[in-house]
Amino acid sequence: MPTFDFTTLLWWGLPFAAAPVVIHLINLLRHKVVRWPTMEFLLASQRKYRTQILLKQLLLLLLRVLAIVGLVGLLAQPRWTAGLGRLLGGQQTTHVVLLDDSFSMGETLAAGTTGEAEEDVTAFVRGRRMVARLLDDLAATPGRHTITVGRCSELAASLETATPATEEATSDRFDLRDELISPQNLPALRRVVDGLRISATATGPTDALRSIPPLLSGQAAGVLWLITDLRSRDWQTSEPMADILQPLAAAGVEIHLVDAAAGAPDTDSEPATQQPNLTVERIEMVGGVPASDVLLPWQITLRNHGTHPVGPVPLAIREDGLDRPGVQVDAIPPGDTATVRFESRFPNAGGHLVEVELPPDRLAQDNQRTAAIEVVDEADVLIIAPASGAGGESPDAFYLATALNPGGAAATGLRPRIEPPQALAALDLGQFDSIWLVDVGRLTAAQIASLETYARAGGGVVFFVGPTTSAEAINTSLFRDGDGLFPAPLAGAVDLLPDPRNPDAPDVIAETHPVVAILSGRRNPFLDAVRIDRYMAIDRSYAPPADSGFRRLLSLRNRAALAVERPFGNGLGVAILTTAGPVWNNWSRNNPSWVVVMLELEGQLARLRQQHTELLVGQPFDVALEPGIDHIDVDFQRPPHGAIVRQVASATASGQLTARLTETDTPGGYTARWQTVNGTPREQLVAVNVNPAEGSLSRLSPADLGNVLAGVPFTYDRADLLQASGDRGRGASLLRPLLLLLLCILLVEQLVSYVVSYHPVRRRSP
Amino acid sequence: MTPGSKQYLPPEVLARIGRLDLRARAVVDGVLTGMHKSPYKGNSVEFLQHREYTRGDDLRRVDWKVWGRQDRLYIKEFEDETNLRLFLLVDGSASMDYTPPRFRDGPGLTKYDYAATLAASLGWLGLSQGDAVGCAVFDNQVRASLPARTSRSHLAGLVSALEQPRQKQPSDFLAVLRGLAETLPRRGLVVICSDLLGDRAGVFKGLQLLRQRGHDLAIFHVLDDDELDFPFEGPTRFEGLELPEELACNPRALRAGYLEAIEAFLTEVRTHAARARCDYHLVRTSQPIDSALVNFLARRARLRA
Repeated sequence: MPTFDFTTLLWWGLPFAAAPVVIHLINLLRHKVVRWPTMEFLLASQRKYRTQILLKQLLLLLLRVLAIVGLVGLLAQPRWTAGLGRLLGGQQTTHVVLLDDSFSMGETLAAGTTGEAEEDVTAFVRGRRMVARLLDDLAATPGRHTITVGRCSELAASLETATPATEEATSDRFDLRDELISPQNLPALRRVVDGLRISATATGPTDALRSIPPLLSGQAAGVLWLITDLRSRDWQTSEPMADILQPLAAAGVEIHLVDAAAGAPDTDSEPATQQPNLTVERIEMVGGVPASDVLLPWQITLRNHGTHPVGPVPLAIREDGLDRPGVQVDAIPPGDTATVRFESRFPNAGGHLVEVELPPDRLAQDNQRTAAIEVVDEADVLIIAPASGAGGESPDAFYLATALNPGGAAATGLRPRIEPPQALAALDLGQFDSIWLVDVGRLTAAQIASLETYARAGGGVVFFVGPTTSAEAINTSLFRDGDGLFPAPLAGAVDLLPDPRNPDAPDVIAETHPVVAILSGRRNPFLDAVRIDRYMAIDRSYAPPADSGFRRLLSLRNRAALAVERPFGNGLGVAILTTAGPVWNNWSRNNPSWVVVMLELEGQLARLRQQHTELLVGQPFDVALEPGIDHIDVDFQRPPHGAIVRQVASATASGQLTARLTETDTPGGYTARWQTVNGTPREQLVAVNVNPAEGSLSRLSPADLGNVLAGVPFTYDRADLLQASGDRGRGASLLRPLLLLLLCILLVEQLVSYVVSYHPVRRRSP
Repeated sequence: MTPGSKQYLPPEVLARIGRLDLRARAVVDGVLTGMHKSPYKGNSVEFLQHREYTRGDDLRRVDWKVWGRQDRLYIKEFEDETNLRLFLLVDGSASMDYTPPRFRDGPGLTKYDYAATLAASLGWLGLSQGDAVGCAVFDNQVRASLPARTSRSHLAGLVSALEQPRQKQPSDFLAVLRGLAETLPRRGLVVICSDLLGDRAGVFKGLQLLRQRGHDLAIFHVLDDDELDFPFEGPTRFEGLELPEELACNPRALRAGYLEAIEAFLTEVRTHAARARCDYHLVRTSQPIDSALVNFLARRARLRA
């Protein structure tokens, strides 16, 4: 039944509907008199058309009355509400507001004004204000209205851990849950809404929407307000979104997609004057060994999400919170990335943070990125080599150890330790940065298992072959048809025969690989001087699977592989198919390229162990503890103010004793501190960063939205323009239909009026 | 100069001339300026034929030359041996006194003024050519009548008869036309200036009677613009000028039906006029009288030709 927003106006306006009748009556009293000769024709006309005239006049009168009633009705803001429940006050409307709080909602749309405590107007702020307006309007609207407000990041996080047993806990993730809206509790509700803050997550609305259907099932009238910035990234693959919304719409839930970033320039069509969004996509160590006083090269990758080049871009750099000289990127192509390198040196062992920051732009949250690094006094490198015949040190191991730690002024930060194969089972391999096996003949199953455990956990293992290496032993115990750590099956040792057609051709060719990047691309006199006499050939029939990650580092001039690698678990297995010492080659003898390649290889293996020190916002920070060795209480220190959260470790499903911090909602460096049972302090540092992909501000147009949500009835609203006015909670507005009806009435009135009125005609000739 | 190209005297200008004789003079001057040759024939000695004498023939018409040669009595007949006898019949009933609301804005001619001026103009023209002109003003009976005379001084009597105060009774065409048919001594041209409102059957029957008596008939059907266009709007009460009826209505609503009815009336009049071989002219009071007169004379000339 229809209701009106301004009932008083309706009652005051309705008497005006009598105006046409009154005017008609007055006109009847005010007629003029004409003495008329042709009365018989007038009377004939009156007799003939009396009924028709009466009906037309009544119709005209009725239309005019209806027009005034319609006009008054329009001014009184009519709505259509269902049933008598509204009259009795028994109908409840459930409003569920899902607020996208991914950090792209932090896009600045307008500079802050003094009226709003100088807060910049971001898409999130717009959405929050729209929720506040909705609360105000519903509080002033008759009927019973409840509201539930949730943020996408919170709801998505709760769903990941939700089980039937934790359903109650899931409901706690809502900022407001089934709160009755009334003038009395409006201030409290407003305080909650005003206190909502944007997250640093990249969580779109899809996951969070899954928690909505239970809230609206069984409700007589439900309204879903999804307030989002319509980023292409969230919606282009949003078939699940339509799948989730379709049942809601079928159940009668009114769906409103509120565009909080409407009016912001789309990345794809932004004007040249508009500042594009830049993102620090990556910061990583690109060489060296993270040891104290060792110069470490870093590389920063920046992405330009705009449509025109940007540059120069200054970058601020901080090491452990202290500013250091920044760097500058000359130009970043549109839609592409640019990199810049810098070096750092940490004098002390322990966890260190390196932060980079861009100048402010449209989206602030992706302008900084942090890297955490565990620096050691010296990195232990384990070299496994069989004892020489005389019981002394293996010459191959000597050459290798010398390359890794030349001594003198050249500080590599590495501390090679040469051990026999038995040490593989006896030592805690986790303490070593990498493990190198030099011409080891045959390993026991326990040694192999220990080695593979080390590699699976992220360690790097390098194999050198030699005269004692057995191809058959390698294939059966270490390669195992691709299941083992060794990268490829071997055929046996062969000589590299001279090439009579091209006797000056270098024996070794550097492939496209980061480890040998410094040597590839042009003729390198040091690499050209390397002579390979003998090597272990890879089985010709071996074709590595496409997804195996198998790569060549070095090749021989006969296109046989000299150095290959293949990932194994989180780690890496590398095979160099010649001797480490000058037995089958002259590489390690006074050739600088030998030292360079070995150090680069060690650097790559060391980075493998470092890469697990970065998390994305929202990912849990897990600390693996050793039962019986570590205390189970772990203190986590969170940015930005160093708040301490103590967590008690528990066993995971896999049996691993783990302490977990789930509140990694702020980007920055997180530190976990605990003690061993004998009082030794332990520390682990991770960097938590935002998802750089969220920095793309490309938006879905409303038209595209219709395609994505084909078949789902929804209403597109703009958060900045939407005057909530409790429209949906109070029933559908009848403004449009009534306006249309009024226009029709006026049109018909004009037609009838024309029909019954006088229109001068051209004078007839006599 | 053709009638259509002439600058005629607008009725509102004519209305400013108070005296009927002067109005008629103004009209006739206009007509004569436009048409220098009278369409009427005067005395004529144009020989037509001989016929044998029969008893009762006027002996003055016997051709004695033929009798001298052949000893037989023959009568000489001429084509038109007499002047035209023009009789003007002007409707003076109440309906002819309709005064349109537009007269509040300026002078104009009522239907009677228009008809009387038309009749006087015709009379002037006839007398000036030596025709015998008579007239009568009637409503339900003949109120003023003047026999046909050829004297130029007869015009004063003619004008006087038309200007006499009228009784303004509803018209009775049948009685008046029957009386006229019985009293008119000789055949001639009877010109009726009327709105023909009243007993239509009586009108048509009266016309038939005159025709049967050998009279040539012409009708000036004088109607006001308002009667033909019905331009009224706003609540109006119409009171009958002849009928004792009144009707309060919204004229805009009745207009279409009214126009249908008056169109049917005009069609009926035209049909019966044609049947009675009347020279019918519908004239509006807004139409220049000299224009109506020229049209009439031109048509008469064509008929005679």
